Amino acid sequence: GDALLPAPQSISILSTNMKHFLTWSPVIVQGATVRYSVEFQGEYEREYANGSWIPISECSLTTATVCNITEDISATVAYKLRVRAELGATRSPWATTKGFFSRAMTSLTPPELRVVADGHHVLVELADMGPSFQFRVLYWKKGQESRVQQRGMKDVSSVVHLDTMEAGAEYCVKAQTHVEAINRSSSFSPTQCVRAQGDTSVWL
Amino acid sequence: KTFHFGACRVSMSLAEIRAGFTAIKANIQSRDPIRTLSILSHPHSLHKVKSADRCCIAHQLLTFYVDKVFKHCRTEDSFVNRKISSIANSFLSARRRLGQCREQNNCACGEESTEKFKQILANYEGLNVTSAAMKSLGELDILLDWMEKSR
Repeated sequence: GDALLPAPQSISILSTNMKHFLTWSPVIVQGATVRYSVEFQGEYEREYANGSWIPISECSLTTATVCNITEDISATVAYKLRVRAELGATRSPWATTKGFFSRAMTSLTPPELRVVADGHHVLVELADMGPSFQFRVLYWKKGQESRVQQRGMKDVSSVVHLDTMEAGAEYCVKAQTHVEAINRSSSFSPTQCVRAQGDTSVWL
Repeated sequence: KTFHFGACRVSMSLAEIRAGFTAIKANIQSRDPIRTLSILSHPHSLHKVKSADRCCIAHQLLTFYVDKVFKHCRTEDSFVNRKISSIANSFLSARRRLGQCREQNNCACGEESTEKFKQILANYEGLNVTSAAMKSLGELDILLDWMEKSR
């Protein structure tokens, strides 16, 4: 009975900032609810465990056409993913990702950065992106682009004091993320400049 | 993080490995009835291994787990199997990096590490394979603690 149900098509992996999702096109059967099951295979399973596959329980018999595989893609090795359709006892053939996926292929976006002048102090706030991420913040006094200073940050749960400004000076800041597990960095966020004037800051 | 095993510097996501192990530790250790025996620490602790020998024994231990241990730890529990897969693939990745360094740096295996690893294999082969594999997996924190000390 397996051959009656076609395998899911357009199977692909979307990966941004170390969050990885498997997606596929729905299998349409009039008047019926088709379900799907997903399995993964790391390099270890291929090379040392007879090419075995491991089911992802959160995506077993799901009606969704997307599966969060982040938890299982947890080593920097080559993975394969596969999905099949199921309707009652009928199962489709497996649809397997072409080529391999490694988390090193994830796309890294610049961090969300907020820069505030508080009196003579430059404060920065970075959106938390998860335990894999560190941040590299560059800052300089406008006009002194050759004297850029940098700060590495890991814990970004609160606002961070970056520097104390000279009165009336303008300071510019930009940031990028770094993921040590894959040894890659994002591009820089747009530069933001602030100038302290008393208690209120002026966005330029 | 970067770890120093003798002449070798290797970056490893030890925190990820430890998180994966912690999630299944109680389950795995509950499958190990023989609590009086240790595979990694009998008769001597890993911490006694000289610094110069750490590179060799680290590579041997990663190989030991990849070649001998993980494949005999498949369970009926899907969550446990997924975490074991995560640890196994992380070990594979770490072993590759350590292996590359080992070749470049030719970090030889001294008498002490050779003897220590022989003892570990003897402890392992003294039990039936499933018990030995489960016990070795249950002792992973001993290995991770020893590696963590290598920072």
